[in-house]
Amino acid sequence: MEFVALLECITSPSCLLSQTAGGLKIGMLLFLVASGLTLVFGVLGVINFAHGALYMLGAYFSWQVMSVTGHFGFSVFLGALGVSIFGLLFERGLLSRVYKADLLIQILLCYSIVLILDDLVMIIWGDEFLSGIGVPEIFQIPPLFIFDAIIPPFHLVIISISLLTGIALWLLMTKTRFGHLVRATAINPSMLEALGINTTFIKASVFMLGSFLAGFGGALAASLGSIVSGMGNSILIESFIVTVIGGMGSIGGAFLASIIIGMARSFGAVAMPLFTDGLMFLIMVLVLVLRPQGLRGEKK
Amino acid sequence: MLKLINLSKSFGGIFATNNVSLELKKESINAVIGPNGAGKTTLFNLITGKLKADSGKVFLEEQNITNLSETEITHLGIARAFQIANIFPTLSVYESIKLAILSKKHGLYNMWGRFSDHSINIEANQIAKLSGLYKVKNIICSELSHGDQKFLDIALALALKPKILLLDEPTAGMGPEERWMMISRIKDLWKKTKMTILFIEHDMDIVFDIAQKIYVLQQGKVLAEGLPKDIKQNQNVIDAYLGGG
Amino acid sequence: MITFFKQDNFFRDATVAFLSWLLLIGIYYLIPDPGIHDIIQKVFILGLFALSLNILIGYLGLIAFGHATFFATGAYTLGLFLQSNFITDYNLGALSIPIAIILSILISGILSAIIGAICIRLKDIYFSFLTLAFQMFIYSIILALVNITGGDQGLMGGFPKPPFLGLDLGQPFDFYIFTLFVSIFVILMLRQLIESSFGYGLRMIRDNPERPSALGFNIKNHKLIAFILAGSIAGLAGSLQALLDVGAYPEWAFWSKSAEPLFMILLGGMHTFLGPLMGALIFEILNDFVTANTRYYGLVLGLVILGFVLGLRQGLLDWLLMQFNRK
Repeated sequence: MEFVALLECITSPSCLLSQTAGGLKIGMLLFLVASGLTLVFGVLGVINFAHGALYMLGAYFSWQVMSVTGHFGFSVFLGALGVSIFGLLFERGLLSRVYKADLLIQILLCYSIVLILDDLVMIIWGDEFLSGIGVPEIFQIPPLFIFDAIIPPFHLVIISISLLTGIALWLLMTKTRFGHLVRATAINPSMLEALGINTTFIKASVFMLGSFLAGFGGALAASLGSIVSGMGNSILIESFIVTVIGGMGSIGGAFLASIIIGMARSFGAVAMPLFTDGLMFLIMVLVLVLRPQGLRGEKK
Repeated sequence: MLKLINLSKSFGGIFATNNVSLELKKESINAVIGPNGAGKTTLFNLITGKLKADSGKVFLEEQNITNLSETEITHLGIARAFQIANIFPTLSVYESIKLAILSKKHGLYNMWGRFSDHSINIEANQIAKLSGLYKVKNIICSELSHGDQKFLDIALALALKPKILLLDEPTAGMGPEERWMMISRIKDLWKKTKMTILFIEHDMDIVFDIAQKIYVLQQGKVLAEGLPKDIKQNQNVIDAYLGGG
Repeated sequence: MITFFKQDNFFRDATVAFLSWLLLIGIYYLIPDPGIHDIIQKVFILGLFALSLNILIGYLGLIAFGHATFFATGAYTLGLFLQSNFITDYNLGALSIPIAIILSILISGILSAIIGAICIRLKDIYFSFLTLAFQMFIYSIILALVNITGGDQGLMGGFPKPPFLGLDLGQPFDFYIFTLFVSIFVILMLRQLIESSFGYGLRMIRDNPERPSALGFNIKNHKLIAFILAGSIAGLAGSLQALLDVGAYPEWAFWSKSAEPLFMILLGGMHTFLGPLMGALIFEILNDFVTANTRYYGLVLGLVILGFVLGLRQGLLDWLLMQFNRK
């Protein structure tokens, strides 16, 4: 444990600021992806183990659009849209068949898709790393220096985009009719069916939304780094951790938990570079043992 | 045999069981009746230890069993059957009964020898015969008829050789003929085993026919108690059933 | 549960087990292909691993995601012990490997007792996630303790395999008959466990977890004992794997290693006793065949699993025995 290094960092404004910014970047991107996962669980009652693969598809799709159009905005948006369509097909064609089945069956179904997609992207795009779609030109400016901390402006953009998406999501869920129907479906779908509301449509829409969020996260990640098969697996595990800590089904909880995990990773890399992941899992263990419903989940 | 003194349980400020006192004599057969939501099943849960009482006491043959765990109370001699047959879907009738017997004898930790050639086979057959399930003893529980499933639930309780048997709506979900068959079987059981029985029931004809003493619950309280002929004429009871309850 | 024989008893099972062992030894000579011997050994080691998980999944109804924790623990325990100075300091000689294996079982057992005691207090998906969290936590520890475990390279430098009871595990044939004997013996013991009263207690909990307490049966201890047994057997499987590979690797503690026995249980079936073993066979054959012909192993495996999940909807052995029972 490098306590000294950690202490030095916290007491130095530049280190503190840059690690915090880094932590927020990680956390906000994670929130984008995890919010999709927790939303799907809250409404459909399914843990989508293929969520990380959707993230990966978002990266690949956006790369593809970028290589055709060269336009950043299109790439990210169409990439995410492509994933949401894929998500719809997956939900209608495969996942909905195992809604009533055992947890084990659902997991194996999702995991089989991960295996298939991990290889499929290699067949289509080759097994080399693809270089990312890069930062859009307007943001290719020198980094900001705040209190001597080096902060790439694009990171701030990512943070803002994720934050705005989160707010939009919250508004959608609480202020719109659709949002109310979705939350009602999460609580009592059969009641809604009896009232003549098509819950299948609602479930499919929610899954599409969740897939969009995963794809969106993947597309943004593609601007930050390279694209490779299997890149969804680590974000999947982290999304699980966030979902568990935040409370399964709670978007607000996912927000809080993402920030916690983002900070843990950022400062953890300073304090215990070899054990950063271990720290995250330790937090997950503690939450499950002490407060299984998570920070904002409902007690069962 | 069984004594409840001022037993109370509330959920979020609402009393599911409100100051209930009752006494069951040895080898008696008694009924608890009352409109839906009167707290009858909650009462059973309190007696068997599934729920912890907020206040009051429960005595089994002079022993204070208040707030003991469900497993302890079961071993002390109180067994219950459930409103919806609570059984083991993939196991056969015979296997289920054996498991109940073994559970009582603390024999489920035995990793030696096969379950199939266990020495309790004779006892298990007896219970099966007693509950009228001997003919279907090798059928898998999920394939039993509804009535047989209810009987199996009771058989499992019987396998524990209880002193007191609590039956939660033993005739629930049955047609009129099946109901009388169930009740006459319960009567037979009672005469043969000399247990103390307390059952919850909605069919008044049945209740007045076989119960020796009746307790009427309403909104968690004991509205009336006594012999069937007295309860029949009790104005409060009549109001409760014909009125808003 | 689906069964092959109507009546069951220990002596019949023991005879089948012994004859199987002899048969497999016969195969060693009839088919002198080392690749085949390798597959057979792997099938039994991984089969043991999968069978141990099925105690929890098939018989108890607990979906454990983190079972590879104990497999890896067993492997590293054996490796570290045989690499350590204990053998020379105490002049253990021929006792080295037997003690190493027993130690692996013991340490995995203790770890599973600790983890199990914490995990079984939770239900359903929370239980599953907690087992996974523990596994990844231990994976991180293995990676972090580079000086002891070799970090992401794994246990390097090999270790001695001193002969014992006339067996030299460095010789392929000796290793073959030893591994198969140990695996088949433990499988036989597992069979006895599952068919005992204890085993039926497990089924009772799986079918209806609320009912047993109303029958006077405390299910917590039962679950914990089952968890410990499952973890110990997984540890044994891990130690055999370590002996086979003369090493131990952190990948064995990664979450994807826990997915392997799950696949085997799906492919072979969770409702028959030997289902997971058949699943291991299917898995290994698939593995061998596919990697020999294409690099897209994930694609094929994924499609096969998809086929089983949506098509057959049960494991192969389950399906076969159901057809057999219909006649």
